[in-house]
Amino acid sequence: MLSVENLVKQYGELVAVDDVSFEAAEGAVFGLLGPNGAGKSTAINCISGLLQPTSGRVTVAGYNVQKEPRQAKRSLGVVPQELALYEDLPAVDNLRYWGRAYGLRGSELETRVTEVLGTIGLGDRAKDLPKTFSGGMKRRLNFGCGIVHRPPVMLLDEPTVGVDPQSRERLFELVEAERAKGTCIVYTTHYMQEAERLCDSVAIIDHGKMIARGSVAELRAQLGARDVLQLNGRFPAGPSKEAVGALAAQNGLDIEIISQEESSLTLTLSSASQHLPAVFQAISNAGGKVSETSLRSPNLETLFLLLTGKELRE
Amino acid sequence: MEFFWASIRKDLARWRQDFTAVLLWLSIPLIIGGLITSLVDGNGGAKPRGVLLIADLDDTFLSGFVAGAYSQGELGELISVEKTTVEAGTESINAGEASGFLIIPEGFTDALLDSKPVTLTLKTNPAQTILPGIIRNVTDVLLDAGFYINQIFGDEIDQMIDTEPGGQSNDVKVASIAVAIQKKIDAAAPLLFPPAIEITIADPPEDGPSVSIALLFLPGIILMAVMFSSNGLAGDYWAERENGTLRRLVYAPGQLSGFLAGKALAAGAIIALIGAITLVIGFVYHDLAWAKLPPSLAWITASGVALFAWFGALQMLASTQRAANLMTAMLLFPLLMAGGSFFPLAALPDWIAAIGRRTPNGFMVDRLTEELTAAGAWTIDPQSWLIILLMAVSGLGICAWRLQTGFARS
Repeated sequence: MLSVENLVKQYGELVAVDDVSFEAAEGAVFGLLGPNGAGKSTAINCISGLLQPTSGRVTVAGYNVQKEPRQAKRSLGVVPQELALYEDLPAVDNLRYWGRAYGLRGSELETRVTEVLGTIGLGDRAKDLPKTFSGGMKRRLNFGCGIVHRPPVMLLDEPTVGVDPQSRERLFELVEAERAKGTCIVYTTHYMQEAERLCDSVAIIDHGKMIARGSVAELRAQLGARDVLQLNGRFPAGPSKEAVGALAAQNGLDIEIISQEESSLTLTLSSASQHLPAVFQAISNAGGKVSETSLRSPNLETLFLLLTGKELRE
Repeated sequence: MEFFWASIRKDLARWRQDFTAVLLWLSIPLIIGGLITSLVDGNGGAKPRGVLLIADLDDTFLSGFVAGAYSQGELGELISVEKTTVEAGTESINAGEASGFLIIPEGFTDALLDSKPVTLTLKTNPAQTILPGIIRNVTDVLLDAGFYINQIFGDEIDQMIDTEPGGQSNDVKVASIAVAIQKKIDAAAPLLFPPAIEITIADPPEDGPSVSIALLFLPGIILMAVMFSSNGLAGDYWAERENGTLRRLVYAPGQLSGFLAGKALAAGAIIALIGAITLVIGFVYHDLAWAKLPPSLAWITASGVALFAWFGALQMLASTQRAANLMTAMLLFPLLMAGGSFFPLAALPDWIAAIGRRTPNGFMVDRLTEELTAAGAWTIDPQSWLIILLMAVSGLGICAWRLQTGFARS
């Protein structure tokens, strides 16, 4: 349904999207994950036709975005990261206007607008101006404007940024409803929980490059059963590393240092909670001191940390 | 086409929400036009009026003539003559209650006829400047006139003074005096009134009616409102960019032309509304032929759309909204100044007017003035309409180009 092949977008020396390829299927949600500035939105803008890619090929519902832009755009519904609404035009007129922009006319348009208002839960506020809406309601209307023309492929660019938990849940339901109708959805986010909840498959992108791809289960398997242990305190560089190495050798532990700084140390190891006293002792013997500990079970967030050595929201 | 109409409806609905802006644009010509009209064409201002006190101690035919001369014709609208006594007059002028106090002494007529020296006393009010000066000048002219009249018609005046009032013989005497005066005038006429200028009275040409100054201001004032409103309306491109709706427009399949044309037509409708109201007021005030209203309104609307297109293009070429506002403001005021909005082009020095007529708004003002002051209607030539059309199309072309080359992305 959506195919991206070797997509590159370059601004002078800066490569914002570097050879990204993926495919998204009908009735599935494909997650594009990465921290802010990773290149997700640039990739989305290239797919939607807002940006001209430097190289690569994008096909939407069988139409080449560069060569057949009209047909490709007609098959795409975009929900941009920033709100894209006429705040001084009633909600129903916003939907009508964008429906007409995609070629809907007459009774078909009216029927669809009424349907979308019901779907996004704004039926009773149809004639109100969006400037009087809450942030969550505006987000839902923003979503509605993207689906009013029944697109077979949808691009959702961080649709939950700045949304309260209740509205976020409502948006998740909307996405799931669209998936159930057979829509192919590309969903960008830097919230791994969202990806784990919604996405059938994901690609992790950092510095414009795709660093991992697969289903959520496949990516979790890459991490194995290892927990992530984050320690804060004081960690002398050489002795701490040696102490962790010695601990692994003595106890036969599969332990790995992901990142080390003077005030923090991040490790991955299996059954971390059972080995905490030994880890603390080793650090203490190396002249270090642990003041704060956090332990995380394996998830996409820890996978990102493992792959890049940094937090997703840094 | 459907999207074009939808775009017009959309923008008109949005501007209805911001009707205050439209009212402000409308108020520009009404306020400035009202002020200018009251300054150059108004008749509501009070003219200065002074009081001249006269103590006529001679109380003769000639002294009465002098006193009456101050209240003749237009002078009478400025000066009110009141007879008084020397004491009361002196008291009033000292109290500043009159502009002047003239004392005609006893024996004035005799002295004038005998060509003997005589003194008229004129006291003026030092607190006033204009009216005392007028009274002084009029008095000088009267005394000079009295001297020359006495030189020419001295005999006849003597006879008139000697004539007893009433009786049939007096009528004969008066008639003979009149005949004698007429003969002297006829004899002196070739010397006194040489035909220095030959005057030919011709009917005014049919297409050149007289034009009031206030009417010359009208086109410039209307174009001022059109300039402000078209610039304000063009600022909506930045508002749409900030709203993210331009970005969503680029996601949609090939609707840019409908969007831009709709926006231009919606702007044209608002400008037409402003133009119609100001024109109707102007037409009523200046009593213009109503047949000129449709072409004038069409010209204003077309000019407004062309200006909107170019202001939009300039706004889109700027890198930030602030830069866009600054750039158009810097352009707006010199154009208004040179283009005949502050002063009519006809009132500007020739070289400035020549430059002004070559500015976009000056060109528009010039043609609108032509339409409003010509004898017939639809006098603007097709070439001028074509220039406006080309302006609109080229401006919108730049807007379309900017929308496709990154302006929509924020």
